[in-house]
Amino acid sequence: MEIPWDIILIQTVNGLVTGMILALVASGLTLIFGIMDVVNFAHGELFMLGAYMGVVVLTTTGNFWLALVIAVLIVALLGAAMQITTLRPLLGRDPLNTILATFGLSLVLQNYALWQFGPVARKIQEPFTGQFTLFYLQYPWYRIVIAVLSAAIITGLYLFLKYGRYGIWIRATTQDRVMAQAMGIPVPWVHTAVFAIGAGMAAASGVLFGPLVGVNHAMGLDWVLKAFIVVVVGGMGNLGGSIAAAIFISLLEAYASIWVSPSQAIIVSSIVLILTLLFRPTGLFVPTPK
Amino acid sequence: MSAPQTSPQPLVSVEGIHTYYGKSHILHGVSLDIGPGEVVGLIGRNGVGKSTTLKSIMGLVSPSEGKITFQGQAITHQPPHKLARLGIGYVPEDRRIFKLLTVMENLRTGLDRAGVEDARKQALLDKVFAFFPVLAERRRQAGGTLSGGEQQMLAIARAMMLEPRIILLDEPTEGLMPRMVSQIKEIIGVLHRDGVAILLVEQNVPLTLEACQRIYFMEKGVVRHHAIASKLSVNDPVIHQYLGV
Ligand SMILES: Nc1ncnc2c1ncn2[C@@H]1O[C@H](COP(=O)(O)OP(=O)(O)OP(=O)(O)O)[C@@H](O)[C@H]1O
Ligand SMILES: [Mg+2]
Repeated sequence: MEIPWDIILIQTVNGLVTGMILALVASGLTLIFGIMDVVNFAHGELFMLGAYMGVVVLTTTGNFWLALVIAVLIVALLGAAMQITTLRPLLGRDPLNTILATFGLSLVLQNYALWQFGPVARKIQEPFTGQFTLFYLQYPWYRIVIAVLSAAIITGLYLFLKYGRYGIWIRATTQDRVMAQAMGIPVPWVHTAVFAIGAGMAAASGVLFGPLVGVNHAMGLDWVLKAFIVVVVGGMGNLGGSIAAAIFISLLEAYASIWVSPSQAIIVSSIVLILTLLFRPTGLFVPTPK
Repeated sequence: MSAPQTSPQPLVSVEGIHTYYGKSHILHGVSLDIGPGEVVGLIGRNGVGKSTTLKSIMGLVSPSEGKITFQGQAITHQPPHKLARLGIGYVPEDRRIFKLLTVMENLRTGLDRAGVEDARKQALLDKVFAFFPVLAERRRQAGGTLSGGEQQMLAIARAMMLEPRIILLDEPTEGLMPRMVSQIKEIIGVLHRDGVAILLVEQNVPLTLEACQRIYFMEKGVVRHHAIASKLSVNDPVIHQYLGV
């Protein structure tokens, strides 16, 4: 069989684009899990609400970038409110409590969106429609911009965690919550801030990805499922691992869909998940399993 | 129990606290006082509740009865981060260095407080680096890569970043080589001269007698006895009674 290089290159670009968006969703999820041991089942709904906020601001202002910024801020605030009211009182309880709480939030938010915006999918107009030629395809520049922007946001997060004063607080709290408190770090507020950051990143992905799919109340489901796979494969709570896993799995799916239909290609990520759980349960990209 | 009065108002005063872990009743009414700038020892056999007493003061476990005051102000149910900001430093017995943070970042967790100017931060760093040069050498190294003794130094240096009025020091010399032990003794002296009070839990009796002004003896969750350190000798029957093997 001849190797279809052109298709492989196109699929590499596609895989990287989805991989970066997925990484943006998953980094919030893994950050939240790492610091407060909360598996946030409402993360997909934060993605979805981000997209809807984008729709709302875009229709009133007509400015996509403004819509992006405002959607991120609103959903970050909403995330902070959710954390304070629902998760903060449950800190340190059995994980089942927080799973049920976030699952409940996810149902509430989904149905709110259905009630508020109705069942018909909305559209976000991409900010520009330019295309370039990739072999026989007209490839939209916007997709490349999504990948670059996602990468930029993730890099920003990384730099903040590495060098920022509050970044150090977040890393210290992730490692040892008790000692962090004893050093004067206001751990409850660090948790709130991390939840808000994760929510904001989910919203950013929702707005950026909105133009490629329709915006509807159930759009978070597919993404959060994939993001969970990525978080487990990357090693729960491991930011670098999640980013690597997001790109890895998206590329694998993109290549698989050269030969099988895209819906079958999703099986690939499940296989990777199962193999990881069987052979490297601490994560595929964790150098030394603890 | 009648404690010899040290100063008109104690810096920290623990009054009859009862602390539980779940259903196990660990502290049965512990009372003790630490005066400003005073170095006070707390000794007793394994499992009598020394560490639990320190954790109760730090707010890491919440006493169900009794009262703790700091500079006359009740702090019994304050969260630990507020107590750290008030001026209580904590050096736990297992050191609890942030292993993935560098030495410098470990120090910054205590240094990056609101209202501390850069010059003062630098002065604080210079002070601990002058005292623990090895920390300066390893400032970019991850905390987890330090030796046990170096981690102990880092744990103490980290607490010093808070400019505390008191440091709760839990078995700082446990498992350390003699050279490191004398360095810990020296730093206790330096802190004392700087007017920092210390509540020291130790198994090392000679060091405790030398470093402390007063000593409390604990048994089964209560303070049973109390003495002026200079009036005790290493072979004192009291020491045998509360620590003897
Ligand atoms: N987290 C915990 N949960 C339940 N019981 C605990 C916990 N921590 C300590 N204990 C129990 O409380 C008692 C007192 O413990 P504590 O650590 O205060 O003793 P200690 O005097 O510091 O002893 P050591 O000299 O061994 O450090 C012990 O019987 C211990 O088993
Ligand atoms: Mg102890």
